[in-house]
Amino acid sequence: MDETQILNIQDKINRRNFIKGTGGLGLAALFSMLGGEALASGTKDVYGGLPGIPHFPPKAKRVIYLFQSGAPSQMELFDPKPTLDKFRGEDLPASIRGGQRLTGMTSGQKTFPVAPNVFKFAQHGQSGIELSELLPHTANVVDELCFIRSMHTDAINHDPAVTFFQTGFQIAGRPSIGSWLAYGLGTENQDLPSYVVLTSKGTGRADDQPLYDRLWGSGFLPTQHQGAKFRNLGDPVLYLSDPDGVDRPTRRDMLDDLAGLNKLKLKLTGDPEVATRISQYELAFRMQASVPDLTDISKEPSSVIEAYGPEVKKPGTYAYNCLLARRLAERGVRFVQLFHMGWDQHSDLPKAIRGQCYDTDQPTAALISDLKARGLMDDTLVVWGGEFGRTVYSQGELTSTNYGRDHHPRCFTVWLTGAGVKKGMVFGKTDDYCYNIVENPVSVHDLHATILHLLGIDHTRLTYKFQGRDFRLTDVFGNVVKEILA
Amino acid sequence: MYAYFNNSSDTGTGVEQPVNHPPVIKAPTPEQTRELARLEKQLALIAAQVEGRLAKNARSASSWKMSGGDLAVPAGLSVRYSLGSTSSVVNGAGSAPRNEGPVEADKGNAGSAVKTSEKAFLDLGSAGDFDRTYAFSYSVWLKPTGMGGAPLSKMDVASDYRGWDLFMNGDRPAFHLISKWPENALKVISRRRIPAGKWSHVTVTYDGKSKASGAAIYVDGVRSELDVEADTLSGSTKTPVSLKVGRRTTADSFVGSVEDLILYPRALSAVEVKKLNELSAVAPILALPVEKRTKEQAATLTRLWSLNHDATYAKLDKQKLDLTAQRQKLESQISTVMIMDEMAKPRETHVLLRGEYDKLGEVVTPAIPSALPPLPVGAPNNRLGFAKWVVDPSNPLTARVLVNRMWERLFGIGIVETSEDLGTQATFPSHPDLLDWLATEIVRLQWDQKAMWKELVMSASYRQSSDVSTELQKNDPLNRLIARGPRFRLPAEVMRDQALLAGGLLVEKVGGPSVRPYQPDGVWDETNVYGNLRNYKHDTGEGLYRRSLYTIWKRTAAPPEMTLFDVPSRETCRIRRARTNTPLQALALMNDVTYVEAARALAQRMMLEGGKTVEERLRFAYQQLLSRDPSADELAILSAGFKRKLAVYDSSPKATEALLKQGDLKNDPRLDKAELAAYTLTASTLLNLDETLTKE
Repeated sequence: MDETQILNIQDKINRRNFIKGTGGLGLAALFSMLGGEALASGTKDVYGGLPGIPHFPPKAKRVIYLFQSGAPSQMELFDPKPTLDKFRGEDLPASIRGGQRLTGMTSGQKTFPVAPNVFKFAQHGQSGIELSELLPHTANVVDELCFIRSMHTDAINHDPAVTFFQTGFQIAGRPSIGSWLAYGLGTENQDLPSYVVLTSKGTGRADDQPLYDRLWGSGFLPTQHQGAKFRNLGDPVLYLSDPDGVDRPTRRDMLDDLAGLNKLKLKLTGDPEVATRISQYELAFRMQASVPDLTDISKEPSSVIEAYGPEVKKPGTYAYNCLLARRLAERGVRFVQLFHMGWDQHSDLPKAIRGQCYDTDQPTAALISDLKARGLMDDTLVVWGGEFGRTVYSQGELTSTNYGRDHHPRCFTVWLTGAGVKKGMVFGKTDDYCYNIVENPVSVHDLHATILHLLGIDHTRLTYKFQGRDFRLTDVFGNVVKEILA
Repeated sequence: MYAYFNNSSDTGTGVEQPVNHPPVIKAPTPEQTRELARLEKQLALIAAQVEGRLAKNARSASSWKMSGGDLAVPAGLSVRYSLGSTSSVVNGAGSAPRNEGPVEADKGNAGSAVKTSEKAFLDLGSAGDFDRTYAFSYSVWLKPTGMGGAPLSKMDVASDYRGWDLFMNGDRPAFHLISKWPENALKVISRRRIPAGKWSHVTVTYDGKSKASGAAIYVDGVRSELDVEADTLSGSTKTPVSLKVGRRTTADSFVGSVEDLILYPRALSAVEVKKLNELSAVAPILALPVEKRTKEQAATLTRLWSLNHDATYAKLDKQKLDLTAQRQKLESQISTVMIMDEMAKPRETHVLLRGEYDKLGEVVTPAIPSALPPLPVGAPNNRLGFAKWVVDPSNPLTARVLVNRMWERLFGIGIVETSEDLGTQATFPSHPDLLDWLATEIVRLQWDQKAMWKELVMSASYRQSSDVSTELQKNDPLNRLIARGPRFRLPAEVMRDQALLAGGLLVEKVGGPSVRPYQPDGVWDETNVYGNLRNYKHDTGEGLYRRSLYTIWKRTAAPPEMTLFDVPSRETCRIRRARTNTPLQALALMNDVTYVEAARALAQRMMLEGGKTVEERLRFAYQQLLSRDPSADELAILSAGFKRKLAVYDSSPKATEALLKQGDLKNDPRLDKAELAAYTLTASTLLNLDETLTKE
């Protein structure tokens, strides 16, 4: 095999095997290529991923996960409890609480006064699903959405709860859902990372819970699968810009020298890894153009800009990130995850939740309409939700206009829309106190299993061996929620 | 096996301050050990002399006669209390103290004292009604049982802590004078500590000028150095709440004993405080007949008499104090090391169901799995015995695991590929006999890793060329047959260190706290709402160029350039790293200021040390980075490339200036700037070469 042959094959691998050049794996893939076309098929080229995955034809090719960090209250937004008004201020009955453990923030409270939601609900759309007045824009697309009112989780504090949602385990260290997908499915666009994370701060609560890079980490999977967090400051992708004093032609010139020298090395040593390195530098050069192109929203039509609302032009806002999410989805990025902070409303909830809804309602609805208008909804799954729910009783003093709510793991609402999901549907039911689930509980593992299913993956068969054990996103749990599948 | 380790006194909860978490041992340097021994010896010498003087002076002291004026405490006090089962006003104006809770009497240093606790304190009514503009002083004897609490306080906790107090900051007396905590307040803390279980005399003086500099704390009559924690007082500190002994309005209870409280409506001088200290100790003793004085009282008397009447003793006493202070300072400088220890009463160990800490299964006791060899004969069945078992020559597992990891470091892949797992789920070794032989070798070498490394790197296998033929590549892509030498990318840390070394920047200092090298602006600001890595500022000087293993790292904020290059996140224990080859890595190596600056530094070295011609300088750089000369083809590419880049920078001084400003390193003014810029890009090309990044 001469140098040209190797480079040709390497090029083929790079198209199929994005950023997958480990000494071992890269070579293994190289020779599996020589043996024939083994990788998954599809209309678009797929780079990387595992042979045999997807396990079955997928409904969705990509996911946009709108993570509402801090945990939005289900009662103010999605899960109306009109009968609760008559219990206002009464102590939550022990029979309802059922010995539920409390956080350190309310365990010292002498009473747990029931705090009915102060916002009005009304039916919307063909489906007649009830939504809060806080979500007028979401109400316009309600017929697209599938609400799961019966989500529950094992964790009661933010960090373990978000970690649980991200990795299927409360203790940090396992791969995040996005890195599992990047690992299993590969990417459709080798000029961009396959798992992109966008963060924004909410107006509801400025000092909300922090996020950590490990939440989109790759755990024990190779680090190339970790989420690439687009920064709101400086380069969106780290080290993207050439240093001052190096212009594009100079960089090109330098890369040509570098490629020339590396090719000499390749000829001498015969190690295909050198060829991989040459092409990674070329990819990097292309990325330096494709990322600025991605984040440049100046060419978006004014109707689109207007639809996303007044904040869309400010980088780092949820609205801007929603628009970016659509642009990423368009470019075939496998998993786009937004984290919007500020939902942790222990006090002054009625005021703070207005701020959060101002941030998120219009852009979220605009994103759905935009995806739909572009036909992307046919193969994109959108998920909206936080890490747990909030308590029916008030944390701190309850007045006619003000209250707070503590963390509540036993029930909360998450909604999905897009490829393969039933539209205009409500699944699951909570009790009159919005404290316990009475119908169709859905665990975090169940949600994970369902998301993977929609992407054509059997959640029990996407595994990675680490320290002598085959690990999976859903650990040893998880059932696909078939009832919500279209 | 978990039961062997589930027996440490480590509480498992973290502490906020950057201190080592107990259990710890002290780890003095050899110099510190020597210095400590020297101080101990001197102290023993002085102590003997001190004892000698005291014995000599005892008789004179017992018949100490003070003149009438001497016996009086400094004039002008506002109130003095005798504290005990029934406390009373001795002198001055004030309401009689009222007991709150089960107040008990205690034997005082000189007379009687009162014990305060969470439940028991004294209320002294409206005494001590000082504002910030009043000068005042107070003096009291304390014998703490624990740490913390307010022995004396006229402070309203509910109104932003308005008022004043004497507060124990752990074992250090502190003085608060507060209008509104924390923004409008004065707080000073004594550096001198007072021991638990012993009587100490504490005096606080304040000059009424609202500044920390006008406050003083004396311990046993000696003015202490202060730490100022708040110095922003400008509002009134008056409060209607009563003066209390043993707590604030609520909580902050002082657990211990209190004796002889005196308040002054003026700032006492240092001389007055010293006298007060002596008198409040001496006068009550002198009032007793000689035969009724206890041993301790007689000793106090002798010590104070000697201080006042025996110049030799006074000198010795000062030396002793100085030496004690030196020893204390030295001891505080000695590093500690966190260790594992054994609890006296072993903790019960359970099987944790599915690994969850709150799901306890059956109780288990420490033991070696029966499939493995037993503990060595005579070894105790504890962590020590387990340690002996781990390194017992008849135990093959440890040696296999160790040499397999060493092999992996050198060859890129272990003889057992799953180097983190040599158990039943492991991959089968490629060369089982080799693994076993290497395992016996390291035992034979008495676990001397350096000797083992030498043996490995001198082996014929390791010294093979890493070039690969097409046939070999096809038949053995992973080099499991070891028919060629290893070839793989360097780890992230080594890559950065190598670039710094080539540029002559690397600081090879060993040890010390973590350092803060360059990071992208605001690298952790967006995610970390709390935490001390927000508003990250990189170090200047040597902190930028230390080896990468000293780079600051928090699990919640990992350095991004490290994780890009496969450094694990440290969330779980990882033995084996992935080795990826990604465009994001290419971007980092081309654009991260660390590497751009290192290229500039290498360019400077090429120009200053590399000779005169372009070829000579390229040769120099190749030797620095690759330990070889460039080939004719390589020289041709690089010198032609250099000339093109020189043309670019010759025609653009602005671009030249901009590139030469990357990083803190100063440019050598002797060097032509355009040339330096062109060499910088050339050096950057070399730092990005596959061969530079690869071990072969």
